[in-house]
Amino acid sequence: MSDMGCERARVAIPDLVAKRLEAEARIEAEAHLGTCADCREEAELVALLVASRPEVPAGLSRRIDAAVRVRGGAVRRPWWGLAAAAVAVLALGIGVASRQGGPTSELPAYVADTGSESENLWLSDDGLIAGAPALDALSDDALVQLLDEMSSEGQA
Amino acid sequence: MRRARSGDQGAMSQLVERHHASVFRVALSLVSDPDLAQDIAQDAFLKAFRGLDGFRGDAAFRTWMLTIAANTARGALRRVVRRRETGLDGVAPVESPEASPEEQAATGEEAARARAMLGRLPDKQRMAVQLRIDEGLSFREIGEIIGSSEGAARVNYFHGIRRLRELME
Repeated sequence: MSDMGCERARVAIPDLVAKRLEAEARIEAEAHLGTCADCREEAELVALLVASRPEVPAGLSRRIDAAVRVRGGAVRRPWWGLAAAAVAVLALGIGVASRQGGPTSELPAYVADTGSESENLWLSDDGLIAGAPALDALSDDALVQLLDEMSSEGQA
Repeated sequence: MRRARSGDQGAMSQLVERHHASVFRVALSLVSDPDLAQDIAQDAFLKAFRGLDGFRGDAAFRTWMLTIAANTARGALRRVVRRRETGLDGVAPVESPEASPEEQAATGEEAARARAMLGRLPDKQRMAVQLRIDEGLSFREIGEIIGSSEGAARVNYFHGIRRLRELME
């Protein structure tokens, strides 16, 4: 087996260290590292980075999924849908609105400060809040979030 | 993808489950704030699903999704910087990500130091290194995400690695 050379080895090192290489390519890369101190050093650095890959917060996918269910539809809500949602949400009481929520309960600070950058306002298309039946399925956090959105829209 | 485009919630959930970790890490790499990175990940998926009709299918969904995440993170970063400059809030300066003591113990001080040093690289070098090592992307995919050619992505990666090696010495 001929040596793969440093150039190819350096491209392969991240996949070798992260165990993403097929057996044949792995053997070839390991053979090169066995004879090349410079590539071995680079592999050690890459291994440090692999070992410190950031952890993903628990529950993030559920949080995103919930947000998509509440706000991710592509259906435009009609004007009467907003009115129905407003009545239904207000009827749920002030107690819910006064809760301190988690990360999904309010617009992120960077979004709240959008100014003219309206592409980050999440209010334009939400088919799920067109009426009370959909609201029944929402969690308290999602309802607080909805209230926040509606109050923001009212101020706009 | 076809099911997600037609509004199938289950299909969208699968896409979230499959890609949320990469999206979060890309955002974190740019903003260095885990809470903000979570907000950005959520925002990026909302934007992506609303724009699925614009997904031409000539790029892998992952690449397209990570491009949206990177753009969303850059937009967020600009707003954070602007807020700081105008004194609108007290958000801490964006710094190199520092691991907590527990993380350092778990991964080893050298690993934590390497990760912190990665945060010192210029944006495109840092993104190229992170996308290649953490996500296993090709240089062509990395180029699409950072807005450069495949060759430029390769150069950014190798310059980043060389600079990291210098910083670690």
